[in-house]
Order: sequence, then structure tokens, then C-alpha cells
Amino acid sequence: MHSRGTSVTWTISLALSFLALAFLAAMTGFLVLESIPAFRARGIQVVVDPFWSPPHGRYGALSMIYGTTVVSVIALLVAAPLGILGGIQLSERVRSRWRPWLKAGVELLAGIPSVVYGLVGVSMVSRLVEASGCGARDSLLTAGLLLSVMILPTVLTLTDDALQAVSRPTRDACRALGLDDTATILHGVLPPARAGIAAALLLALGRALGETIAVFLVVGRADNRLPPPRELLSALSDPGQTLTSKLGSTEVFQSFADPEHRSAIVGLALILFVLTALLTWSGRALLRGSEAR
Amino acid sequence: MKAQHSVLCLLASILLTGRVGADSMLKLQGSTTVNPICAEAAEVLLKEQNLACTVDPQGGSAGGLSALGDGLVDIAMTSKPMSDKEKARYPSLTFVETAIGLDAVAIVVSRPVFDGGMTSITREQLRDLFEGKVTRWSEIGGPDLAVFVYDKEPGRGTREVFDHFVYGKEPPPLVSFRNYAQVGGNEETRTKVAAHGSAVSQLSASWVEAEKGLGALGVKLADGREVRPGEATIRDGSYPMTRRLNLVTRGAPEGGARVFIDFILSPKGQDLVKKHGYLPIATQGP
Repeated sequence: MHSRGTSVTWTISLALSFLALAFLAAMTGFLVLESIPAFRARGIQVVVDPFWSPPHGRYGALSMIYGTTVVSVIALLVAAPLGILGGIQLSERVRSRWRPWLKAGVELLAGIPSVVYGLVGVSMVSRLVEASGCGARDSLLTAGLLLSVMILPTVLTLTDDALQAVSRPTRDACRALGLDDTATILHGVLPPARAGIAAALLLALGRALGETIAVFLVVGRADNRLPPPRELLSALSDPGQTLTSKLGSTEVFQSFADPEHRSAIVGLALILFVLTALLTWSGRALLRGSEAR
Repeated sequence: MKAQHSVLCLLASILLTGRVGADSMLKLQGSTTVNPICAEAAEVLLKEQNLACTVDPQGGSAGGLSALGDGLVDIAMTSKPMSDKEKARYPSLTFVETAIGLDAVAIVVSRPVFDGGMTSITREQLRDLFEGKVTRWSEIGGPDLAVFVYDKEPGRGTREVFDHFVYGKEPPPLVSFRNYAQVGGNEETRTKVAAHGSAVSQLSASWVEAEKGLGALGVKLADGREVRPGEATIRDGSYPMTRRLNLVTRGAPEGGARVFIDFILSPKGQDLVKKHGYLPIATQGP
């Protein structure tokens, strides 16, 4: 039988939760209202114009949307297979003696502040990219690889959670049918965990999308880089710009001088906000769906 | 009863912390070029005159001026003169720029490029270089190495002095090319150009150290003379990209800001300016 506590405590708790909602509403309101001038002046150009150059009155986000997409896709392409396989190992194969240690270790990695990854990236990852002969140190590729290292623990631990959630009877049934380890995993355990793993990937993608410091340090911050299709692959090792690396730069403060510039900058933030929100909601919806089973 | 009490105390403390310690420190922000001087001056002043300062190289000259205009800091450190546009942002304020030293913007290349013969450059070559029209150093008299351009981010004092020399009052054109990246402060610029091996960037002249993998290019003037950034050419203005290092205040400096600026202008402060490789501002005649 739960007591609701005294009315004072209850009122304060209620007030604080509303504070959180109010903050979210205020933030959304700010992003939408402040960026309206930019959208009204340029309409869809804000999103589809590849050129961003305030001195010339160009405020197009396309190159940055491209950069954000490329960097996140690279991160996911590397982190997904490694993370899922690692999660399978941790959940199904690791002996229970070591499991708590490994799980703790992975969760620790998932919690390391991004600026630490950024510094590691500057010293290690970009040197690797350069040594491999792929061109400049700072590039979309470097940023993508660094991000993959960052989101790998997240994918791994969430995959492990999804697999652990598959019930004991399911595994026992597979054994009863005479399936070996591999078959059990492939046909018995993975299918029910599909939604949970998809959610893991979406959440990791959301984190990659929003990562600022690490990307800012290694992406090169070159504006207006939208390569033609035939150069797409080779341009991966060229410097680029993402929504987050632009928003993390000092241009944000300089933009306050010019209302048009400032409105466009907030527009970039709004685009990023919408993208991240969509990904996070889809991820959470999938997670809820899989848990209900 | 105990839980309510703790929650109320927590709320009270959250509300009060915002009020503490807001106005006691002298705050400086701005250029990474001027920063080393001010950082050391802050240490000296703390010891000798018990003046507590925070010095923050966030955002370069433009960042510092923004913060000054918004009332967030007391002194802005800048390595470029304040533009009319910047002054127009704060029509109710009068800004006072006090020059504390002299410096120049050097066009710096990675050591292999300099050693390979690329030791001076014309204004036109500079324009072509930073617009991506030159892909190999051999095209303008250097070794056969690939060009990589590290451009200072706009708003930095160093960048504005450079743009003023190359483009005058016009903004640089909108160009985009593959071998291009942006850099922030002087430290990042120096590290990246030296590490790359065949890159070019703009850097404060006193930050160029040959043994750290960099070489400063001389500038070939229109009349054919070649001027290298050095004490003599900066003082007499023959090197085109010279600039004053300034401490900017809202109105004439007073209180802690006055103490700080007076210190920098004193012989001891000017020694600090020299110590960090810049030229002292000649307040007395020879």
C-alpha cells in the first residue's frame, strides 16, 4: 500500500515535473519562433540550398545536413555489426562469472564524456586516417570513425539488454528441439529481440546525430562541401561540416549581430532538433513495442 | 517531516547560488594572440595587488567584443581594430580601445614547403591560394607538394587583418574546394600546419617558430620589395599585415580594468608583451 506522502512533498514533486515539461515547451517554442524569419525570407531554401555564406546572404543547410548524415551513417555502419555481435557474445556466450564486470565496463564506456573522445580522436584516430593514406587528417571519415567508437558501447549494451529480455522458456524450447548454440541464437533468441536491437540502433544513431565536441574537433569545419555523385566516395576523406559542428563554432555568437544570420542559425538548431526527436521517438516506440511482447 | 525539510533546503540553495560571486572578478575574453600576455599579467596582479582575474580566449577577437558589448566581461582582448559594424551593434555604448602592443599576421607554411623554395608570396598568389586555384606548390614557385589550406575562422582578428590585406573592404568570395579546412586559435593553427607537411595558414607572426615545423613567408609588395615580418618592418609599417593588440573597455577603463590596463602599459607589463614575442607599444620617443 503506497502512501502519497504529505501534500507538501507531493506538490513540490508535481511542480518540478511540470518545470521539466515547461522547459521543453519553452525550448521548442524558442527554436520555432526565432527561426520563423529565416524560413519566411527564404522558405525551403534554408534546407535545400547547399551554400552557407552570411557575407553573401546565403543561408543554406544542405551541405551540413549532408555532413551530419554521412558522419552518422559511417558511425552506424561500423558500430552496428560490431555492437550487435558484441552484444550477442555478452548476452549468450560470456560466462556469468565475467558478465558483471564486462557489463559494467561497457556501460562505463557508454557514459564517458564526449569531449574525451574528441581529444582521443584528435590524437589517435586522425593519425590513423592519415597514415592509411586517405588524405587530410580532419574529414567526414575521421569524424564518422570517431563517432562509431563513441556509439559502439551504446549499441552493445542495448543489444545485450534486448537479448537478455528474451525469456528463459524460449531458450529452453530451442534446446529441447536439439538446436546447438549458434542455431539457438540465430533462430530462437535474435528474432524476438529484433525490435529491441532496432531501437538500440536508432538511439545510437540519435546520439551520433547530436554529438558536437568530438565532431567539431575532427571534421575540418569546411563549409559548402556537397560533392557531386561521382566524387562522393573520395570526398569522404575531405573536410566537411555538420549541423553540430556549425552550431558548436563561434559563428553562433557572431551571428547575434545580424538578425537574419541569427535566425538562420536557430533554423539549423531546429532542423537538428527535429531530426533527433524523430529518431529518439522511433527508438523508444520500438523499445516499448518489444517489451510488451 | 525530514524529507520535506531537505527538499525545501535544496530549493533554497539552488535559488541562492546564482547570486554569489557574480561581480567580484575582473573578466577578460577574446583573442588567442593577446591571451598569453593577459594570462601572465593576471597571475602577477593576483600576487602583487590581489586583483583576481579570469582570462578566457573563447571566440577570438569577435567573441571577446560580443561578450564585452553584452556586459558579460569587463575587458575584451582584440588583435584587430573594432569595425563600424561591430560598434553599430551596441549604439548605446562607447568602446575605448587601448593599444598595448604590436603584432603582425604571418602567412605560415609547413617547413617542407618553406625549405623547398617557397619563401615569399604576392597578394595575387595569396588570393589564388586561399580561393583554391592553386593545387600544388610548384605552381607558384615552391616544391612539388600538394597544397592544403587551413583558413582561420571568420571573426578572428588574424583573419580580418588578412582579409583586409587581400580583399580590402569586399568580403572574400564564396568558394568551396576540397583541400580546405578551418582552424580556430593560434595554437590549433600552428599544430595543424606543422603536422600536415604542405599546408598554409594565417598565424600571428610571433607564434611562428622554425624549429616547430613552420616557416613565415615574406610578402612581395607591388613595388617589388619583399618584406619579412620582423621587428623593423612591423614598427615602420612596411610589412602590410601589421596590427595593434588592444584591450577594449566600455567607456574609459575604471576600477579593476584601469589597474589591469595601467599594469600592461607599465614597463613591467610591456616586458611581458616582449616576453611573449610581440612588440611593445612605443609610448615614449627614442
